[in-house]
Amino acid sequence: MNAMLTVILPPLLQLLLVLAFAPLITGIIRKTKARLQRRRGASVVQPYFDLAKLLKKEVVVSPVASWLFHATPYIVFSSTLVIALLVPTLVTPVPLHWIGDIITVIYLFALGRFFLALAGLDTGSAFGGLGSSREMSIASIIEPAMMLAIFTAAVTAGSTNLSIIVDRLSSTPASMLNPAHLLAFAGLFIVTLAETGRVPVDNPATHLELTMIHEAMILEYSGRYLAFIEWASQMKLLLFLALMSNMFFPLGMATTWSPGALVLGCVAFVLKVTGLAIVVAVVESTNAKLRLFRVPELLMVAFILSLLALILYFIIGA
Amino acid sequence: MTRKREYIALLRKSLGEHLQIRETVVPNEVYLSLREKSLSTLPDICSLLTKSMKAHFTTLVASDERSLNDRLSLYYVFSVPSADLFLLLHVPVDPRHMEVPSISQVLESASWFEQEVKDWFGVVAFPNIHRLASHPDWPEDMHHMLKDVDPGRPVPRVQGTFDFKRVEGEGVFEIPVGPVHAGIIEPGHFRFSVAGEPIINLDVQLFYTHKGTEKIAEGMSPQRAVFLAERISGDSSFGHAIAFCHCVERLGGYEIPKRAIVIRTMLLELERLYNHVGDIGSILLDVGFSTGAAMAFELKERLLHLNEILTGSRLLRGMAAIGGVRRDPEKTQVQWHALRDMLVWAKESFEPLVDLVMTSSSVLDRLETTGILGQVDAYRLGITGIAGRASGTDRDYRRDHPHCAYPYLRFRTALHTEGDVLARLKVRIDEVRESFAILEQLQHQHRGEPLLATITRVPRLKYALGYVEGWRGEILHWLMTDKAGNIFRWKITDPSFHNWRALPVAVRNNIVPDFPVINKSFNLSYSGNDR
Repeated sequence: MNAMLTVILPPLLQLLLVLAFAPLITGIIRKTKARLQRRRGASVVQPYFDLAKLLKKEVVVSPVASWLFHATPYIVFSSTLVIALLVPTLVTPVPLHWIGDIITVIYLFALGRFFLALAGLDTGSAFGGLGSSREMSIASIIEPAMMLAIFTAAVTAGSTNLSIIVDRLSSTPASMLNPAHLLAFAGLFIVTLAETGRVPVDNPATHLELTMIHEAMILEYSGRYLAFIEWASQMKLLLFLALMSNMFFPLGMATTWSPGALVLGCVAFVLKVTGLAIVVAVVESTNAKLRLFRVPELLMVAFILSLLALILYFIIGA
Repeated sequence: MTRKREYIALLRKSLGEHLQIRETVVPNEVYLSLREKSLSTLPDICSLLTKSMKAHFTTLVASDERSLNDRLSLYYVFSVPSADLFLLLHVPVDPRHMEVPSISQVLESASWFEQEVKDWFGVVAFPNIHRLASHPDWPEDMHHMLKDVDPGRPVPRVQGTFDFKRVEGEGVFEIPVGPVHAGIIEPGHFRFSVAGEPIINLDVQLFYTHKGTEKIAEGMSPQRAVFLAERISGDSSFGHAIAFCHCVERLGGYEIPKRAIVIRTMLLELERLYNHVGDIGSILLDVGFSTGAAMAFELKERLLHLNEILTGSRLLRGMAAIGGVRRDPEKTQVQWHALRDMLVWAKESFEPLVDLVMTSSSVLDRLETTGILGQVDAYRLGITGIAGRASGTDRDYRRDHPHCAYPYLRFRTALHTEGDVLARLKVRIDEVRESFAILEQLQHQHRGEPLLATITRVPRLKYALGYVEGWRGEILHWLMTDKAGNIFRWKITDPSFHNWRALPVAVRNNIVPDFPVINKSFNLSYSGNDR
């Protein structure tokens, strides 16, 4: 019985944390942006109400949509849930550490995006196609930048396994301030903005179909399907923030399942992720969206930062 | 006056054999009747007027005057800024031969006007089969502006499809957008042909909001029609209402109290202010710069609130009246303080907004070189107002055809030449500053004097133009009264009707995601265009 508990409880706890906390992060970003614009803004828990409303609403589906359109929300949602078990949040080792490493995380994200792009094309709406083509062309430049940023961390730790990266880093806290490490962090921050569709790459708050990237792709979705997709992208944002904070600064992470360590881990996680979310909101408030053809230049910056990090690592060592 | 005399002498000398020159009670209008035998020279005359006589084509008025003289009339209206003069080239059309030579070959800015006359009156000038102002589900021979069409009867519908310019080739796609849009905006259909992201061609289908304003006004008393004029285009409520009042006042030769003129000018500038500030906000919002947008929208909201305090209406409705204005917006202490405090506050908060925009490299990067409307294109298509002044067209009715209190005021006309979104933004910024200065000059002028001249009877069978420089550009109306002094024909020209043609030119070779900001930088009225 006890053995069962130790197998089931950690993954369950981590899943619940990601599922429950993700909408709040989106709410915090929106609230911060509103305050920076001298608006009162909606309550930080508004995204929960939005999800609850969408889950109750009927799904309207185009008559020309195929099975792809129906399957995509579930594929996106469940692949994000699997990622939630691979990314370190409260405790190391992560629940599914034996199943895969950081490469798995990257490709599980790619899987969700692949199906979203197909679903965008599936209904034959002009905007869906527009969104899919933009998403895929941007994805093809995000990926190398993201890989490089993450590999810098992996090389430092000597492993691509996220738990091992976190452990190594925790045992030598001084290496968190290594310039190579910080540069890679900056690279990953830019990647996060692009990957999660924030300003200056995409604008999650816009109503203008013609300027949308991610939103254009999911324009045909409604009701429960939309709720799953929205929830998944909120989780994706949280997971990226978690990756950034824990892969680079694993301070306060629990290594055992004792209640004290868990509470500390929880507090540290919430603080770090909320802090990063506020930084994202400030970036969104102080920048205009980039012209679409300038996005590759921004991602090139991320790529070069990561490349520099890697070179630095080999020059000055860990 | 001497400039006017010289100009008319010149006209008589060069075109006297084709034209009969006639002046009316209105001092700055000259009617030129084209002699029957000279019909074929119409394009040459128009070409001569614009090319060597400094006249600009401004509108084409068609009027079904069969009940009066068995003819339809076309009036080609030209503005001559150098002499503060309007030329109305009158061409009578025989109802059995509904055809006139097209002037679009020499004056491209006239082509939409000719198409509208073809769709609404059946007078064929423009040899284009494409429908513009009537949708294809109206019968081919339905020309509803003719007097024998009863506006109370519904128009029968037929089968018809829009035909768009098609671009074909490998990798060319069409993106249909609208007529129902995601934001709270008016209906219009945009058909993009794109190769990847760059736009190869844009076709715009308008006239979804055609309400038959000009038609239902016929037979209405001018006093009542003021309210109709306020509803031509919501954002230019006051501008259109005053342009209409000017028509009636000019054809009757009425004297307007000085205080009323001051108030009208104030309200025109307040209308300009709230629209310009709102547009600046919308442009920023469309490039995803939400902080600047929020600042502008706050300012706009306060300006609208000021409008409500001063006039009881956020859109300045219910103020205009023939012969003056209905109320004094500076009547009470509260109003006076609100106006004074608001102007101080708005001036103080506008400059930080301008600084924020002009020092934000990410915003400037989006606006510079986006949606360029070249100077040649702007001139060729007769683009007016903000869009014209951003593309080097130095025209401003406040200066060129002085009306209201503008002759007594000091202000500068904004002018930029780059023709991109940033230039249109800069024109707005300059004009906002000028509006503040104008409002300061106007406060308290002639306070306590009468507001409204008594107008007993509107003269019968008279016609005149009425115009103001609205915030978007020149608003030009032409009014003719019938035998009872009611409206016989009322032609409304909103600046949008000129400027919609700029949009396809400005967006060409830009990328699809830049379209919304380019569109917003023009911010054209659908309702004013469609009427």
